[in-house]
Amino acid sequence: MAKCDLSIELDDEADVLHDGGSTISGTVRVKVDADVKCNGLIVESVWRTHGRGNIAKGSADKLTLFTGHWTAGQHIEYPFELKIAAWPPTYHGHYLNIDHYVAARVDIPWSFDPKASVPFLVRAVCENTQAVVSNTTKQIGGVAGGCIGVAFFGAFTMFVAAFVLGGGGILPMIVLAAIGLIGASFFVVKVVLPKWVLGQVICELERKTVSPGETIKGELSFSPRKNVQINGITMKVSANEQCVSGSGSNKKTHRHCLFESTETLEGATTLTANRPLRHNFFYKIPDDAPYSVELSDNKLHWVAEVSIDIPRWPDWRKKIDLQVLPDGKAIDRGARAPELIAEPSTAVGNDGITFEETVRHLWAVRDDPAKRSTLIDAVTGMSFDVSARIERRLLYGGRDAPNVYRDGHAVWAHADDPELPLVLYIPQALGDEFEQIGRKLWQGRSTVLGWDERNERLQLKVEVLKPSDGR
Amino acid sequence: MQSKCNQFSNLCSGLPWAWCNLFRNPFGEITREERAELAIVDVRELAEHVKDSRSAVQLIGECGRGKTTRMLALEQFLPAASYVYLDEDLSCGAIPSGNPLLIDEAQRLPRDVMRTLFSTGLPLILATHRDLSRSLRRFGYKVTNYPLGPSNDASLIMQAMNRRIEASRLETPRVEPGPVPVPRLSIKDAETLVHRFGSDVRAIESYLYEQVQKQVNSDGEMRFVD
Repeated sequence: MAKCDLSIELDDEADVLHDGGSTISGTVRVKVDADVKCNGLIVESVWRTHGRGNIAKGSADKLTLFTGHWTAGQHIEYPFELKIAAWPPTYHGHYLNIDHYVAARVDIPWSFDPKASVPFLVRAVCENTQAVVSNTTKQIGGVAGGCIGVAFFGAFTMFVAAFVLGGGGILPMIVLAAIGLIGASFFVVKVVLPKWVLGQVICELERKTVSPGETIKGELSFSPRKNVQINGITMKVSANEQCVSGSGSNKKTHRHCLFESTETLEGATTLTANRPLRHNFFYKIPDDAPYSVELSDNKLHWVAEVSIDIPRWPDWRKKIDLQVLPDGKAIDRGARAPELIAEPSTAVGNDGITFEETVRHLWAVRDDPAKRSTLIDAVTGMSFDVSARIERRLLYGGRDAPNVYRDGHAVWAHADDPELPLVLYIPQALGDEFEQIGRKLWQGRSTVLGWDERNERLQLKVEVLKPSDGR
Repeated sequence: MQSKCNQFSNLCSGLPWAWCNLFRNPFGEITREERAELAIVDVRELAEHVKDSRSAVQLIGECGRGKTTRMLALEQFLPAASYVYLDEDLSCGAIPSGNPLLIDEAQRLPRDVMRTLFSTGLPLILATHRDLSRSLRRFGYKVTNYPLGPSNDASLIMQAMNRRIEASRLETPRVEPGPVPVPRLSIKDAETLVHRFGSDVRAIESYLYEQVQKQVNSDGEMRFVD
């Protein structure tokens, strides 16, 4: 049974739309049922996805409103003001939803932590690179060609393996020949045949990043190699939700077409050989179009697809990913993300940086693989005096674990504040010491080995302590 | 600057489920922590079977029957336990010690790793598609098997889905004048779902997600089954 009840009241009405990057204010109300020690009444501004995809979330601001003791019967109010995340904006789709919340929690030792949260609406007012989907342009068949190359290499490897291991029987050759034939057929149908009739087709957009209400402009040009009848040339613009649920064998991708519009650039006609054809095309993105969003396992992406429909022949098609983003001013990235580190050469020089500073920097960029990788590269090989809270010994280090100490073992641990997860590789000489420490705080010297991507932990090689350390 | 929203239908206006006092579709994906909190499983009974060393419990069943949900609930209930999920597409990762040790998709354990783990004698709870009793007994384990599926009856389905709905409540329940109602799945609906989908809880959740999604920004009474 909770020792107190929480509720949150926002200063604004529930249907008010807040600007991303602004602030939200309200009051947390606490109704105390029993005397309680409060280690922290924490209120936080967060965003979360919900729907069919695995949950992605982020935090924009956090405050501790109170620590101390409450007495049974008290009714107390704590006003607050929190920053709102600049991105992503509120969105309610079919498989993908994004909502912002003010969430409050009471940290009560040895007891259930009461919680409360209330949603609020946010719109994006600034351009944000987190919204940018990968800027890929692919011609259908071009990607297939690449895949075919991989398939051929794989098939060749399998052939060699089958021939060597299987004594050269004819069955592997038949199977591999079939695989090769299927792959080649796909490539011919999707790439070679359309080009044979139409020649080189050039299709480009003036720009791939637009805002709602803006017009995308492009050009399609080609010179047919022979007289060819076409059913038409069309451009389709669509917005699609794509959410991934589960993992491993339970992983499933859920797709929903949110919007689709097809424009005809050219009707049914017969094209003359060697007569160049050029089409300038335009499409106005709806004024209220939802923004492109790319979050972990949750995406909303816009695509433009141009097709040349050739009867009784494979069509030519090209898909171009679009980015539909807010048209606000570009924000000062330094101001938006104060936790961003400076260039590695200045942030982590060879003199003076401590383990605690390294941990803080890593914690700040832990969700950004590129920045994290840069920082890890910078500190790999550096030695520190480390404090770590031991979690558990590993019974098995994993197939991909570095082979650090032949007769040693590994433990999971975490830094104190922030609690960056760590994995310590321990030499046999220190085995007894770690047995005795159990799950307490360990202090010693370690060298950074790298980053365990799978378990998201900093890898540290524990060095044998000198006798003079007094341990 | 704040203003009301008016755009691409109602993609950022209001809350689509406020009309029935929900803040989300109750049958979407949830976090591991929430899955453990909402699980309906007698963790005490399962935990009783792994108090001693060389004792093992196997949760045996096909996909979607609740193996992982039960494992996550056990992890939450047993503070010294460690939980490991073995990915089909990846090589075997790190396995931390725990008491008991919870291995999800245990049938994917490589032989050498299985030998290492079973040699420790640690109490084990295995979620598996395949019965590993023989291997366990070879290492001196006493094995208790729980086949999953038959226990996913209409009553359990009704309880589980109503817990999901309650966890999606928009307002915090007030003592006075009383909680604002949220939709409830009836036993009749649960029986229909079990009749249609059998013991596959995941398929039931997936169906209910689409049913609820059809009624976004609607009004009237939520219908779960056509």
